[in-house]
Amino acid sequence: MVSDSELVVRVTGSNDQVAFQQLVERHQAAIRGFLRRLAAGDTGTADDLAQDTFLMAYRKLHTFKSSGSLLSWLHTIAYRQFLQHIRKHARQQVMAEPPEQSHDPRQSMDSEILAERLMGFVSTEERACLTLAYSAGMSHPEIGQVTGFPLGTVKSHIQRGKQKLQRWLKDHDHSISKDKEAHRA
Amino acid sequence: MPESPLDQELGQLLAYHHEPESSDFVANVMHDVQRERLLRRVILWAFGLVGAAFGLFGAVMLSDSITRLFSFSFSLPPMETMQVALAVVAAAALYTWFMNDDLSLSS
Repeated sequence: MVSDSELVVRVTGSNDQVAFQQLVERHQAAIRGFLRRLAAGDTGTADDLAQDTFLMAYRKLHTFKSSGSLLSWLHTIAYRQFLQHIRKHARQQVMAEPPEQSHDPRQSMDSEILAERLMGFVSTEERACLTLAYSAGMSHPEIGQVTGFPLGTVKSHIQRGKQKLQRWLKDHDHSISKDKEAHRA
Repeated sequence: MPESPLDQELGQLLAYHHEPESSDFVANVMHDVQRERLLRRVILWAFGLVGAAFGLFGAVMLSDSITRLFSFSFSLPPMETMQVALAVVAAAALYTWFMNDDLSLSS
């Protein structure tokens, strides 16, 4: 398989559209998944932002340093697009409303929708850090690079987010395995 | 980096469970990219034409001086003529290098 850096060289060197398409195909799932979590399940907004992310990546690909990971770089653009979006729409209700405390999202949803809705319980920063850590599998320093937060801030966002989700799990006396079994039954 | 049972549970809970359908999304992105390239080309051509029009206008205004310059060039000895030619080539090379990014759009 052709590496990301080779594809990047082809795009920046000779404007190779096929190479860029391969990059989009390769990374679209991760970027859309990340933005869907950030948007707490608002898939339309998330996909629009993902499209803007790749367009921005196409414009700025010549500034990408091949020493880093392309996927981290794309996550950085996606996160900035998301922040810009919420700043622009600060007065409108564009984010999914945080679920009511009494509402149990597990009752009626599949795992993906549940995970997206659970993001409504934590702040935007905690959402980004938790998703990058647990869904994208990034290390804390990588998360710091993507979000621009110092390492200590990344750790505290993850800790606080974990505590909120843990509290929710305890309050609803559920574990994921139990829930899956119940769902299957 | 799940370690504790809570980390494991969160890792399981927050993992990406579904891969979104890619074909429409990729097609939309590539459509945007092509539109972007077209727009850049149109802008380049538009500004190029404006520049050419101003150049032509200036050339017409200075036609007398230009004629005098050319008649002066043609009357130069071979060494000076070669130097003028080299200066023109160097200027063209500089222009090509400077505009390289935009010129590559036409390929």
